[in-house]
Amino acid sequence: MNYMPGTASLIEDIDKKHLVLLRDGRTLIGFLRSIDQFANLVLHETVERIHVGKKYGDIPRGIFIIRGENVVLLGEIDLEKESDTVLQPVSIEEILEDQRCQQQAKQEAERMKLQVLKERGLFVPRADTLDEY
Amino acid sequence: MFRFQSLDEDCTLEEEEGLVEEEDEIDQFNDDTFGAGAIDDDWQEEHARLAELDERVRDGGVSLPPTVPPAAAASSLQPSAPPPGLEERGGGDLAESLARLILGADPAIAGVGAAGLPARAELPPQRKALSEALPARPPSLLGYHQQQLRMGTAPLQVNSRSIWESVGFGPVGVTPALGPRMEDSSLLSIIKEVGLPKQPPPMRSDERRDLSERVPPPRSSSPVIGSPPVRAVPIGTPPKQPLSHMLNQQIHCPTAVHVRAPIQHRYAHPFPERLSPNTLLNITNSPLCRPPFPGGVGPVLSQIQRAQLLSSQVGAFPRAGPAPPLLPGGAGGFRPFFGQHPPRVGPHIPPNHGPIRHNTTHLHPQHRRLLTQRLQSRGDRGGRGGERRIRDPYSNLMTQREKEWVARIQMMQLQSTDPYLDDYYYQNYYEKMEKKQERDRDSSSKKEHTTKLITPQVAKLEHTYRPVQFAGSLGKLTVSSVNNPRKMIDAVVTSRSDDEEKREKQVWNKRRQILYTVEKMYSLLLEVQDFEKKFIQTPEEQREALLEQHKTHTIQLYNTLREKEWDDRVSDEQCLMIMSVRKGKRLVSRLLPFLPPPQAAAVVMAIARNLPALAKKDKQDQVLCWLVEPVSVVVQALSSSALTDLLQELQGNEGQLPRVLQNKFGVTLLYLILSEGERMQSSDANCQLMDDNRWTELVFSVTRKLLEVPPASLSPPLFTPPNLLSLFSRYVDRQRLELLQEKLQISALSR
Repeated sequence: MNYMPGTASLIEDIDKKHLVLLRDGRTLIGFLRSIDQFANLVLHETVERIHVGKKYGDIPRGIFIIRGENVVLLGEIDLEKESDTVLQPVSIEEILEDQRCQQQAKQEAERMKLQVLKERGLFVPRADTLDEY
Repeated sequence: MFRFQSLDEDCTLEEEEGLVEEEDEIDQFNDDTFGAGAIDDDWQEEHARLAELDERVRDGGVSLPPTVPPAAAASSLQPSAPPPGLEERGGGDLAESLARLILGADPAIAGVGAAGLPARAELPPQRKALSEALPARPPSLLGYHQQQLRMGTAPLQVNSRSIWESVGFGPVGVTPALGPRMEDSSLLSIIKEVGLPKQPPPMRSDERRDLSERVPPPRSSSPVIGSPPVRAVPIGTPPKQPLSHMLNQQIHCPTAVHVRAPIQHRYAHPFPERLSPNTLLNITNSPLCRPPFPGGVGPVLSQIQRAQLLSSQVGAFPRAGPAPPLLPGGAGGFRPFFGQHPPRVGPHIPPNHGPIRHNTTHLHPQHRRLLTQRLQSRGDRGGRGGERRIRDPYSNLMTQREKEWVARIQMMQLQSTDPYLDDYYYQNYYEKMEKKQERDRDSSSKKEHTTKLITPQVAKLEHTYRPVQFAGSLGKLTVSSVNNPRKMIDAVVTSRSDDEEKREKQVWNKRRQILYTVEKMYSLLLEVQDFEKKFIQTPEEQREALLEQHKTHTIQLYNTLREKEWDDRVSDEQCLMIMSVRKGKRLVSRLLPFLPPPQAAAVVMAIARNLPALAKKDKQDQVLCWLVEPVSVVVQALSSSALTDLLQELQGNEGQLPRVLQNKFGVTLLYLILSEGERMQSSDANCQLMDDNRWTELVFSVTRKLLEVPPASLSPPLFTPPNLLSLFSRYVDRQRLELLQEKLQISALSR
C-alpha cells in the first residue's frame, strides 16, 4: 500500500535492510522493524560496520533503538547488490586496529596543523565536536 | 527491582468488585507494571526460548509440537480452587489439542521452513478434524490461554469469572469478546478464571519448547514500582490491539452473557498486548463477526505469527482455524461463517502487508482505484517473491494499526487551511507533473496516474484566548499552552504627546506609511497574480465569484495609486512615495502588466514626469531598471498621441532631459519611445504621429540635446533599439547623424 505518496515516509521501509549513518559517525546496518513520528528507529540484527580505507569490519550488535534526531541519513540496502562491492571484509580485531591507527594519524595531523597555525598567529577555535560524520 | 509477587497476594480492586476468587489473587499493580513476566524470571525463559527459536529457524523450521507450554510459572499461577467444573479435566488435553489445531491449521505457522505444501496439505484435514471435534474445542482454547497465562506473559487482570458462570461455558470466542471496551483484560480475566486452577502439564525439558507461546512481554506504561499505571493514554503511544477495539463494537451476542466491566479502565494498557491468547480470541471472533478481510486481520495474524515465530504469511489461518471450533458454540450471533472459509483459504501469499484494506479515505478516488489494482497485481506476483519473505520471522513487528497511526500523525502535521499558502511548491510540482502526464498520455495511450497526497484540509478556526477571570479577584488567570503562549507583559499602547517627538516621528511615520501601503498593495498584487492558478483549480460554480474578486483587487490596486479627486490621473505624490522605496519600485514593475492599458499608460506617464526625482532617489538602490521590461510593454501598446505625450513628459521642463540622459533607465526609456515612434512611422504610412508637429519638434529637441550633452554624462542604455538610426536619419543631416552615431554608438548593424 502506498503510504503517503509524494512524501518521505519510512513506513514503506519497514522490514527491509537499511544502512543508517549516525551523527557520531557510526554506520549501522540492520532491518528496520519499527518507526514512530520522530523517526526513531528500531533496528534488528544490527551490525556496526567500520570502514577503514578499502577494508571494513562488522560488529554484530543485536537490536538497536535509535533516537531519530541522531540519524544523518539512512537508505535501503539492495540485497542483491550488497555482495558486489570492492570493499574487503576483515575481522573485527583487524578493523578496530586499523581504525585506531587512522584516528591516531588524524589526530596527529590535526595537532600539527594547529601547531603550524599557532606559529603563524592564527587560532582556529576547536569546533564543537557534536557531529562527527 | 522486580517485585516477585505470587499470585496469591490480594488484589484489592478485585475484592472491591467482589468478584475475586481466592485463587485468582494477583498483584494487579505489579503485573500491570511489569507484566506477569516479572514472575519467576519468566523473561529469562522467554529470552532463552527466543534464542532457541533463532536456532530453530536456522534449522529450517520444524512442525511445532502439539502443546505443552513450559510450566515455568505453573506453581505460582495456580490458585487453589478449581473453576466451576467445566474444563477441569479437559484443560490440559484441550490445550494440547487446540494448540495442535491452531498450529497445524495455519500453513504459515505449521513450520517456518517447511511452510510449503505439506503444511497446506495439512490444512484441510485439520479443518476436518476441527469440525468433527468441535464440541471439545472451545475449552481447549481456554486451556491454551491458560497456558499462556501460566507462562507468565499475560498480565493477569481482574478475572471475570462471572462471565463464565453465567454463560455456562458457552463458546469460547464469544464471552471474552463480549468483554468490555478494554483491550485484552476481559479475555485475560476469562482465561484466568477458567484456566488458573488447573495444573498445567509439566513441561518436559527435553521436549521441544512450544514456541507458539513465545510472546514478547507486554509493555508497561509506568516504571514506578507500586504505582498504578498511567491512566490516560499518552499522546505518543502506539495504538492498542486493533481487534479488541473492534470486538467490543461488533459483538452481536445476546445479552445472556454478563458483560462485565472490570477494572480494566483503571489499568488501561496503552500498548498493544502481543498475546497469543488474545490474538487467538480476536481471530476467532474476527472472522465471525465481521465481513471478510477486515483490516485488523492482518496485524492480528502477524502477532500470532510472531508469537509463533513463523513466517509472515498472512492468510489462511484466520479463516480456517478457529472458526470451526467456535461455530457450534453459537450462543447466537455467529453467522455461519464456515461455509465461506474454503474460498479464502488458499494460496494467498500476500506481501508483508497482506491484502488489507487500509483506510483510504484521505486518498484521491483515482488513487484508491489504482491502489486496489496494484494490490491485486502484487498479490499475483507475491507468490514468486514470497520465498524470500517466508524466511523472515520477525517481520510485521509493527502492526498495520501502528503504521497507520504513524501515518496519521504525519498527516496531521500536514493539515493546512490553505495549501497554496503552506505548500506552494508541492502544489506547483504536482500540477506540472499532471500536465506532463497529460502530454505523455496523449502521445502514448497508456493511462497512468501518479498518486498525490491529499492532505487533510482543516477549516481555519480562530481561537482567541480569553483569560479566565474570577469575579472579585485581582488579575487574570493565564493558562498557557502551545496555541496560547503566555503573555509576559500586558502591554498597552500609549501615545506620547511630545511635540518635538511628534515632528520627528512624522517623518518616520510617513516612511512607515509608505511601507505599509506597499505591503498592502503587495498582498493584493499576489492575489491578482495567483488568480490564474486559482481559476484553474476552482470548480465552475465558483469561478464567477473568483473573477469578480479578481476585478475588485485590480481596481483596488489602481485606486491606491491614483489621485483622490481625479479618476484618471495618477497621483504623482503617491506614485513618487511608493517608488521612493525599493520594494515599491519592484511592486510597480510587477503591477504594470496587470493594469488596464489606460491606467498603465498613466502610470508610465507619471514615471516619466518625475524621472529626475526618481533617479535621484534611486541612486542607492539602482533598481529602476526593473521597470524597463513592463514599461517597454506599455510603451509599445501606446497610441501615437499618447506616445507623443509621453515624450513630452519625459522632456518636461528645460533641463530635465539632460538629467534624464544621465540615468540609465532614462536613456533606455527615451530610446524605447523613439524606437516605438519610428516603428509606427515606418510600418504605418499614415500614422498620426506626423499629424501635428509635436513629434517632430520633440525629436528635434531630443537630438539637439543628445548632441549637446557631453559624452561623460550620457549613460549607456540597457539596450539600443535597432531602428534608432533610421529615426535619426529622418530628422538630422548627415553630419549630425554621424556624430550622433558615434556618440550613441549606434551602428547600422547594431542589434
